[in-house]
Amino acid sequence: MMMFGYLLASGITTGALYALVALGITVVYKATRAVNFAHGDLFMICGFIAYTFHVMWGMPYVLSLVLAVAAGFVIGALAERIAFRPLMEQSLVSVLLATIGLSFVLKGIARGIWGGKGDFIPFPPLASPTPISLGGILVMPQQLIVLAGAIAVMLLFAAFFKFTRLGKMMQATADNQKAAKLVGIRTGRVYMYTFAVGTSVAGAAAVLMAPITLLYPDIGFVLFIKSFAAAVLGGLTSIPGAVVGGFLIGLIEAFSGGYISTNLQDVSSYIVIMLVLIFLPQGLFGGRSLRKV
Amino acid sequence: MRLAFGSRQFLALLFLGLAIIPWVANPYILYVANLALLYIILALGLNLLVGYAGQFALANAAMFGIGAYGTGLLEVRLGLPYLLAAPGGALLAMLIGTAITFPALRLSGIYLALSTLAFAMFSQWVLLHWYSVTYGGGGFRVPNLDLSPLPIGPDLGIYYLSWVVTLVLVVLAWSLVRSRIGRAFVAIRDGEIAAQSLGIDLLRYKALAFALSGFYAGVAGALYTPLLGYISPEGFDLFQMIIQKSMIVVGGMGSIVGSVIGATVMVALLELLREFKSTQEIVFGSILIAFVLFRPRGIVTLLRRLPGWEEPLSSFDRRRYVVSGPASPAAAAAATGLARAAAEPARGEGR
Repeated sequence: MMMFGYLLASGITTGALYALVALGITVVYKATRAVNFAHGDLFMICGFIAYTFHVMWGMPYVLSLVLAVAAGFVIGALAERIAFRPLMEQSLVSVLLATIGLSFVLKGIARGIWGGKGDFIPFPPLASPTPISLGGILVMPQQLIVLAGAIAVMLLFAAFFKFTRLGKMMQATADNQKAAKLVGIRTGRVYMYTFAVGTSVAGAAAVLMAPITLLYPDIGFVLFIKSFAAAVLGGLTSIPGAVVGGFLIGLIEAFSGGYISTNLQDVSSYIVIMLVLIFLPQGLFGGRSLRKV
Repeated sequence: MRLAFGSRQFLALLFLGLAIIPWVANPYILYVANLALLYIILALGLNLLVGYAGQFALANAAMFGIGAYGTGLLEVRLGLPYLLAAPGGALLAMLIGTAITFPALRLSGIYLALSTLAFAMFSQWVLLHWYSVTYGGGGFRVPNLDLSPLPIGPDLGIYYLSWVVTLVLVVLAWSLVRSRIGRAFVAIRDGEIAAQSLGIDLLRYKALAFALSGFYAGVAGALYTPLLGYISPEGFDLFQMIIQKSMIVVGGMGSIVGSVIGATVMVALLELLREFKSTQEIVFGSILIAFVLFRPRGIVTLLRRLPGWEEPLSSFDRRRYVVSGPASPAAAAAATGLARAAAEPARGEGR
């Protein structure tokens, strides 16, 4: 039972982070039908920016979180300008190649500035490392902070998407790009904001995650694949789906790692992607898509 | 009067040059040239799959690794001689490459890219963790190449073996893309449903494209084993994937000569930056972005401006028939947009 509780807690915590990154992937995919391969590396860069503010320059944690989110917004918009906007009219392959290129540029930059080979950069924890008991389950206070933070970000994001003008424009563009253009929405700009907002959410996730895991330049791609598994599980076009998928991937990872073999922890999400794409290509929440001729 | 310098002559000159390298260069240059030969094979295989058949798969680095590990493990675990182990490794890569087609047939675009990426990560994980077979992350040594009846040392032996194999595979790819198969690949790339309505069996040709690309990558892996003398999972990671992708983008998607040029250029660049991992990543990533943005058809488009340049079924370039034969009736037809239909008979007459 103790093992179960421990795994449950850690699965939900990492799952929340996957959900946040998957949110960004899903929002961008919904709007543009392209997957940003650099999304994980944008996450990683935001984490390092927060590290610079918080650990190297001694700013308070919350301030560096806000700054990292702001930086994520700017970098995400830049990424859209570089790797998506000029290629929008061309084939999907071009966009994928450009974002793959961008992902390696970001990785190289992070390696050059913050860490060499195999350097893992620690982020100081926010709460005491003594576990507390919550209904019989031992939980680290740090995990609770992360979970609360992640849920707060999700709610903020949902509110933004539902109630603000920009959020509604994003929904309209994702729904029907031509119609959105007809009613006067500048869809090009909406795409840019979509990338920017998606990256901000990833940035928030990076800052929340940094105290429980470590930061290293190669974390981006691994995280991207896991979050993509979450997004695919959720149907790739459904925002609640991405959140549920994120938690599911986190739990699958924790339990397969805990009960079967620790080696399985890393590989389970790759297996999930392959299985879902083969047997359940619409995911759990995706609508049926028509085959276009 | 047509200038007689086309892609054939270009390739012939390049291979002649590569053949005399061992006499004029030091061992390091020889090693780099050998690496270039292997990457030519890799780029060709990837280009057949991505550039010609239009299947954007990301598992090529994994096939490369499977070919290398297959060869090395057959030698070390089963004690097979290299000349038996190498085809075994290449065939293993081809089989696995074909096996992942069956899901790929149902998938396209992003889904194909991501599922093959997941497969690549999965196989990387297997290489690292299936310790009892693969020796895990530390890798293992393989015996030196022994071509004993022939009076040739291991370094020169592997170089000339790679040279011959690469030449054969270039010619094979060249003939393939001119054949019915190559045309079917291009038809699938340009429109799956249109291709189907022309009677092209999607499953068969996609499987063939994956098998070919797996085979090419497997052969490259089989040659890589004795060249390095040592295998570890590190060489077959994501960075390997971006190296190969940037080769075909820089050289030219859907072009045989492009694959050859891209591989040569990128190997040279890779060796120049060998000391600095972060610089390598930044440079390769930036090159990929820059080419996709500003020269999406690769370096080979510059060569196509040369008078007399021609290449069979080189794709992605609509104007190719206008360039190819200014004196032929095709030129007049090209101007009216009937180029594609008219150029083929015109070429036939020329031969």
